[in-house]
Amino acid sequence: MERKYTILAILLIVLALGLVILPKEKRQKEIDPKLLLSAVIENSRYLSVDEVTHRIIENDPTLMLIDLRPGDQFKQFALSGAINIQTDSLLSASTLELLNQPGKDKIWYANSDLISEKAWLIATRHSVNRIYIMKGGMNEWFNTIIKPGDVSNTASSADLDRLSFRNAARRYFIGAGQTPEMPIAKKTPEKVNFIRKAPEATSGGGC
Amino acid sequence: MKKSKYDGSFYLNPYLGGAILGTVLLLSFYLSGRGLGASGAVKNTVAATVNIIAPQHVEQSAYYSQFAGGDKKPMSNWLIYEVLGVLAGAFISGIVFNRLKLKVEHSPKITSRRRLLFALAGGLVFGFGAQLARGCTSGAALSGMAVLSLGGYITMVAIFGTAFVVAWIFRKNWI
Amino acid sequence: MIGPIISSGIVSPAWDPIFAVILGMGFGFALESSGFSSSRKIIGTFFGYDFVVVKVFFTAAIVASVGLLYLNYFGLVDFSQLYIQPTFLTSAIVGGVIMGIGFAMAGFCPGTSLCAAAVGRIDGLVFFGGMFIGVFIFSESFSFIENMFYSGSQGAKMINTAFGISPELFTLFLVLAAVGMFFGAAWVQKKVKKVEY
Repeated sequence: MERKYTILAILLIVLALGLVILPKEKRQKEIDPKLLLSAVIENSRYLSVDEVTHRIIENDPTLMLIDLRPGDQFKQFALSGAINIQTDSLLSASTLELLNQPGKDKIWYANSDLISEKAWLIATRHSVNRIYIMKGGMNEWFNTIIKPGDVSNTASSADLDRLSFRNAARRYFIGAGQTPEMPIAKKTPEKVNFIRKAPEATSGGGC
Repeated sequence: MKKSKYDGSFYLNPYLGGAILGTVLLLSFYLSGRGLGASGAVKNTVAATVNIIAPQHVEQSAYYSQFAGGDKKPMSNWLIYEVLGVLAGAFISGIVFNRLKLKVEHSPKITSRRRLLFALAGGLVFGFGAQLARGCTSGAALSGMAVLSLGGYITMVAIFGTAFVVAWIFRKNWI
Repeated sequence: MIGPIISSGIVSPAWDPIFAVILGMGFGFALESSGFSSSRKIIGTFFGYDFVVVKVFFTAAIVASVGLLYLNYFGLVDFSQLYIQPTFLTSAIVGGVIMGIGFAMAGFCPGTSLCAAAVGRIDGLVFFGGMFIGVFIFSESFSFIENMFYSGSQGAKMINTAFGISPELFTLFLVLAAVGMFFGAAWVQKKVKKVEY
């Protein structure tokens, strides 16, 4: 009886030891070019500024905003909760660890889509999942949320809804009665591995 | 397999049982991407019940509104289906190993009444704690340990550590 | 096929409840057939006369962890798609302590009480009923505990990062610790006076 258990125990330890010894290179496989092509063609990586704003205001725990603009612009103003990542450090170990956090939707933005697109491509090739691009970047965000346009008489009710949402969002970001010229940063985000206090995801997991 | 002392029923070798349990847990992650659980089903049932009796209360509550009310369907949840499966699986095992019997199991030194009171109180305390820790021994501790979650390990140590001390306080109930 | 099957979109999400029932049945069968429907067998761990809980629980944990890491290594499961419980230090510790008290009082945890109820143990059913009351009290008093519930947030942190080692190395230590515990349990069980149950 004792011997049977000893053999089983040794077997388990060898299996676990195997995990430690096995070479790791195999795991850092790049994504299959065909898969990458289909991901590039598909447009599901774009999120509109309205969608992103909605998730910021709702304090969505799965949201991870990544600001790709230069550091000085980031310090001036950034979306609340955003993390600043410089494009040159995109593939550093600490950035990849941050990006590979499970259960987060990584949403890139820069001033326009140009840099976000490139960063998206590079990170996707390195098998980072759930990356999105805020369509239009910071410029588009500023134009739609901070400076909402006038609405025509023939606007549909969906348009009116969107407008009132944007008005509410503007108040959220810059406070009521502020002129849209000078957005005030809600808080100065710091360049750290930022883990926000997240409310529990709706009835997800757990027992 | 080992023969138990008095009722002729069989228990699996604990290591075999553990290996089956671990394989089921592994399959659960492989198929559905999540661990096993039990107390989440209670949480959703409570929320669904309160939602039927007092829907406004659910809307106002910061806790219920996370998983009930509006167009959320707390009873159509993975854990609810899983718990129904647990009942069926345990029942089958009860038939196979000849353990089906309606009784209150307790130490000969205490009465059934005392045992039931402690079971009720224990369930109440456990239910409360499982909500606070976001899961019970299966959902937080076991499933959390399998995916190396820090919280799972902390919860596991807290449960077993405390139970060791408290079991000694209540030892008259058991031995 | 790369798992998790459901989130990778290989089969329709409509299969998820079916998987849930089947997995639940396996879970219930494994618990009941190992003897987890008997509170006196479970509680034996704390008095040293029956270590079935330690044996089953830790065997399951190491089988699942080692298995998951192998599946991950061979690219069969995408670790980043798995649900990892977020860590909230304060509530994990306080909640765990409260659960420990309930565990020692009743000798059940939620999963095992269900198994006990399924084979006709009335105390298991009563425990399960008690849980509804406990959950109800928690939900109603949530506004008082909300701060504690959300304090000490660490995100979906993994224990090997807390120690600064790789998941594989941590799992090796886990297996070694578990095996040590199994032999320790066998040794203690020989020393302790048998309890009839």
